[in-house]
Amino acid sequence: MTQLWALAVVAIVVLIAACLEAFRSRRARKRALGAVAAPAADPYILYFTGDGCTVCRTHQEPALAKLGAVRIDRVDAIADRTLADRFHVYTLPTTVVMSPEGRALHVNYGYATAPKLERQLAEARGSAIQAATA
Amino acid sequence: MATQVVDHSALKVNQTGIVATVLVAFVGSAFYRPALLLIPLLAIVLLLGTFAPQLALFKQLYFKVLKPAGIVKPQPVQDRPEPHNFAQGLGGVFLAVSSFFLYVASPAYGPTLLVIGLAIALLVAVLAFINLAFGYCLGCQIYYQLGKAGVIRAS
Repeated sequence: MTQLWALAVVAIVVLIAACLEAFRSRRARKRALGAVAAPAADPYILYFTGDGCTVCRTHQEPALAKLGAVRIDRVDAIADRTLADRFHVYTLPTTVVMSPEGRALHVNYGYATAPKLERQLAEARGSAIQAATA
Repeated sequence: MATQVVDHSALKVNQTGIVATVLVAFVGSAFYRPALLLIPLLAIVLLLGTFAPQLALFKQLYFKVLKPAGIVKPQPVQDRPEPHNFAQGLGGVFLAVSSFFLYVASPAYGPTLLVIGLAIALLVAVLAFINLAFGYCLGCQIYYQLGKAGVIRAS
């Protein structure tokens, strides 16, 4: 019986933690969208990482390598705290898909897969073309 | 701070050891209460391993037995060992707190604290499993946050 109660406590704690994480991620994303960085000729990716980020090396960097000829600006989130704070980076890795004007269009907290980033880049290219023809 | 080669198989064996030990203690205690003794023992193993890597039981099992025998293949990755050590130490601290609830607080203040002690130990196992299965290391994220806040020198 004690074990069942302990299991219930753990389930509740995990559920609350998952809800808090979803809330925090949504709030940070809302604040970071539209934040600005350097402009470029094409959409590009701001990649926030750090020396101690293992997932960055084992998952995120191979995914970024699959994107081909896309400009990726690697940012050390601890060394460049000002830029990290501007994009509300609270976890590593964080990837931000930037428009050519240097505006954040998509923010991914945690590991983002290559197909997801490709989709976001395609959307960014589409909106850039729309803006140019408008 | 420069990165070095960290064998991620050693980390995975360590996480497997944590999950297995807590599960044995948790399930075993339903039938045989002294099985809970594994929790304070695991806390000691993790804390010792944090400060003296040569005493890290599961990692030594990997380096001395599993790797030479070819049972587990090495997985070298350019990485920093500090966040992983920090996460392991944090797990050890939580298991020490769990042990306090199991062996000191619950006999004096009732079975509710036994439930809390078991739940803390189980949470450590859940986090070790998440790290093992999905690569998400909560302790490493806390290490990053502390580094960002300037509490520890993280880079």
